[in-house]
Amino acid sequence: MAGPGRLETALQVLSDRLPVEKMNVRSLFTSKEVPVHRMSWAYYLGGLAIFLFVVQLVTGLLLLFYYEPTVSDAHASVDFITHHVSGGALIRNLHTWAASALLLTLMAHLLTAFAMKAFVKPREITWVSGVVLLLIAFAFGFTGYLLPWHQIAVNATKVGLQSIEEMGRYLPGALSEWPRQLRELIQGEAAVGQATLSRFYAIHVVVLPLVTFALLGLHLLAVQLHGMSPGVDRPSGRTERFFPFFLLKDFWLWGVAFLALFVLALCLPFESLYPYPLFEAYDSMGSTPDGIKPEWYFYFLYYPLELLPFWVVSLGSMASLGVLTAAPWLFRGSSRRTLRLLAVVAALYLVVMTVFGQTLYEIFRGGGG
Amino acid sequence: MTATPLDLFLFAALPYLALALLVFGSLYRYRTRRFTYSALSSQFLESRALRWGTVPFHLGILVLLVGHLVPFLAPVLWRDLVAHRPFLLAVETVGVAAAALTVVGLGVLFLRRITASKLQHVSTVLDLAVVLLLGFQVVVGLGVAVMHRWGAVWSVGTITPYLWSLLELQPDVSYVAALPPLVKLHLVGAWAIFLIVPFSRLVHVFSLPLGYLVRPPQRVVWATRRRLEEAAEAMQQRVTRRHLIRGLAGAGAAGLLLSLGVMDKLLHFFQGPRMSLEEESALLGTRLHRLQRTAEERQLELERMREPYIRIARLGDLSTDRGRYFVDYRMRPALAFRGADGLPLLISAKCTHLGCTVASEVDARGRLLCPCHISYFDLETGKPNPGSPAKEPLPHLGWVLRDTDGTVVAGWSPSGQTLGMPSPERLEDYEVWIARSFEDLEREVA
Amino acid sequence: MNPRIGAAVSGTVPVVCLVAALAFGGVAPAAAYPEFETFVEMHSGRSIDCSLCHTHPDGPEGVRPGQIRALTPEELERLNQARGAFEPGTRVDSPILNDFGDLILRVVGKRRFLELRTSDPEALAAELGFDSDLDGDGIPDAQEYLQGTHPLDSQHGDPWLLFRNNLRAYALHLTLILLATLLGLYGLHHLLAWFDVTAQAAVSEPGRKEGSAP
Repeated sequence: MAGPGRLETALQVLSDRLPVEKMNVRSLFTSKEVPVHRMSWAYYLGGLAIFLFVVQLVTGLLLLFYYEPTVSDAHASVDFITHHVSGGALIRNLHTWAASALLLTLMAHLLTAFAMKAFVKPREITWVSGVVLLLIAFAFGFTGYLLPWHQIAVNATKVGLQSIEEMGRYLPGALSEWPRQLRELIQGEAAVGQATLSRFYAIHVVVLPLVTFALLGLHLLAVQLHGMSPGVDRPSGRTERFFPFFLLKDFWLWGVAFLALFVLALCLPFESLYPYPLFEAYDSMGSTPDGIKPEWYFYFLYYPLELLPFWVVSLGSMASLGVLTAAPWLFRGSSRRTLRLLAVVAALYLVVMTVFGQTLYEIFRGGGG
Repeated sequence: MTATPLDLFLFAALPYLALALLVFGSLYRYRTRRFTYSALSSQFLESRALRWGTVPFHLGILVLLVGHLVPFLAPVLWRDLVAHRPFLLAVETVGVAAAALTVVGLGVLFLRRITASKLQHVSTVLDLAVVLLLGFQVVVGLGVAVMHRWGAVWSVGTITPYLWSLLELQPDVSYVAALPPLVKLHLVGAWAIFLIVPFSRLVHVFSLPLGYLVRPPQRVVWATRRRLEEAAEAMQQRVTRRHLIRGLAGAGAAGLLLSLGVMDKLLHFFQGPRMSLEEESALLGTRLHRLQRTAEERQLELERMREPYIRIARLGDLSTDRGRYFVDYRMRPALAFRGADGLPLLISAKCTHLGCTVASEVDARGRLLCPCHISYFDLETGKPNPGSPAKEPLPHLGWVLRDTDGTVVAGWSPSGQTLGMPSPERLEDYEVWIARSFEDLEREVA
Repeated sequence: MNPRIGAAVSGTVPVVCLVAALAFGGVAPAAAYPEFETFVEMHSGRSIDCSLCHTHPDGPEGVRPGQIRALTPEELERLNQARGAFEPGTRVDSPILNDFGDLILRVVGKRRFLELRTSDPEALAAELGFDSDLDGDGIPDAQEYLQGTHPLDSQHGDPWLLFRNNLRAYALHLTLILLATLLGLYGLHHLLAWFDVTAQAAVSEPGRKEGSAP
């Protein structure tokens, strides 16, 4: 009977992944070293993401003071914040620009962590919690987008939720009802309305932040305990001290990021980048403006959905998600060179689809609709 | 106000006298008694009280000096800056704090000089006079700041042009003649200080050891072992302290700047916007309007939930070429016409392109126009014209004809079913209603 | 000519007013002016809707608030007055037009407006003049008309122009923030160095020569 043996193995596995004996000042602070190599720049991305998340928390909290989550008053309250509250336009623009910056940083963080093979044992917990955190970040974006209750918010959410329902076509018999019921569960009612707004508000402001704190805590704990991953196949052995050099450079990056965000938020309202009809109050009995699209960080999913059959895209995304989550085990033996190549290809796809998605759509589908 | 002879003397003659003495006296002293060009520090004789006196004094006086020089040298920039109230408040606060520091420092210096016996052997009357004069000047300056606020603002229009007029050798005393006596006293004190500079220890302002600020830490290399170790330790301490001071200074300055910019905005953020009465009433008006519209919409929704039939109009009131708007059971806009056969013709008014409400007039070719992107829909068939942005036809809606007493006479469903037989003579008096469901209708029609 | 019909019977007044307005207005019943919309969309490349000039994004036709069929008698009165503003110079407050629409009627007048509609929509900008800036974003209303951005929304305008104007307007704030960040980072730098040196000195035995400045 290998009972106690299995329990011991399980505990051993866990303690390998979370070496709590390393939770002392010496290894966490004073003698912590960071490898120096050509991919060292990627070590700063995680910290940048945390900084941007904190910016989101603070600006989000300030917005919370004046936002009203009802269909009759949501748009007017956002208008009030932008035009009447002291510093309101700045806070709102900061929140939006930082959201985009955060998602960009998270994508970069994921791709570089993948390329540096930072998921391999004993860092599996870090990796998996990171993937879940990325999905949560997308959920943040999706739920937050609805809150201003203007034309593009409501219509893009409708379109987005509709794609869940499309799954029903491919499911047999009684199961084909489940996607529609799932969609109504998410919406709270048959059509996107007050119930949807209320629950998206609760999700965006309370549920997701709490889940993020928990997961982020785990993620950061694991990072601190394991230290920075080697990052290259043949480390040169050159390191620098985490404290104070690396930390200092981290803070400088945060300072630069903060300044860039501030200048952007103060001087370039994000609304000016879109046609204004998209930001008018949603009118269920009026017309829908042209150009309803989800946020740019969803383009890599949205344009394929428009161009390719639904089953191709859904299978593809599920497969990618599976590969991503199982990476610590799938790519255990891969060299970092291969991983870098894969990351570059993935990055290329993301960039092309995001930047040229509309052009591609017009080439393949334009003029005829 | 015309300048009195006293004003002319104090503010035209005295300045030139003071400045002339300052320039030529200091030059003369430099040429003839160069080694006296110093503050003649008494640190060797008494250092503890000196530290508590000279450091606050110099800190304060330097801040005050900068604060007085900037409005003189860059009045336009200064005026723009102090137009911001938080900046003005910050500047005045810093000034008062610096003045308080200076007074404390001067007090300590004065007391020290009259109590320490070693000092009195080397002190001259002029030393005491300098301390007292400076103290007097700063106290009077504090008085001006308190009694005649806000100096940072009014000095740009009075003192600055006066000083420039002096430098341009066209003295204009009218700028200062009307100023309150306390301010004039402060001015006179300034000229007095300028006057005694070449004669006193104040001449050290021309021999500032500026290089001291940026010199690297001094390494004294001792010969003995003990001294060597002590020196290393002391060096270490100095480096540490340098970092600490610079760190605190940087962080402190950043904090100060942030408070200047952010606190004011943050306070107003939490206070809520200060709107004029018109703005507030306009805002309240729009909110009320919105509430009314929401109430109307809910009313419509309630009606459509409760009533199996909703009245549109009297058939006689409908026209063939001008539709009447109504809201159907699915809360969509729709139009009611009278068809060519005299029976109602109800058609959805929500354009199938992007949902605009179509116009209610039928044009010469029997079409309805959607003005948003120019689609024409044929009234009889609902079909859009070829080439229009809309592709789907506008659906027709079912209707019910009821007599004045309420009996259902006839009905028509979009699937084409017609029920009942309306009598042609009574046609005008029939009322057009829409029905929630057509199945119940079949039971009702006679 | 201003049809002043005394308020009396409720439901018939709007209809009567409307009929009278049509009779005296002398132009086609209220319809959108799609020529201007087409011109702006082609010229600027940005898609717009009727709320550039009208109160409702779908234009004046319809039953929604801000559209003709939903006007109160008092609003119909204002509409009639606005409809009569053929020559420039009359201050109008039309219930179906926003402040920019009212500006057009006041500066250009309805007659000239209708002429430009079929002949040269682009000239409307020049005739409006580039002095007025109703939303205060630094871009003149006529220019916003040409560029398809909303002239009453200070958050909407050509991104590059807005950026430049705001940069100039907020120069003081930006300088303060830049200074604050730089000073803060400088201070943080030295505080970290101080902390490091002190920690290292504490770790090593007292009296031993240790550490030089990082």
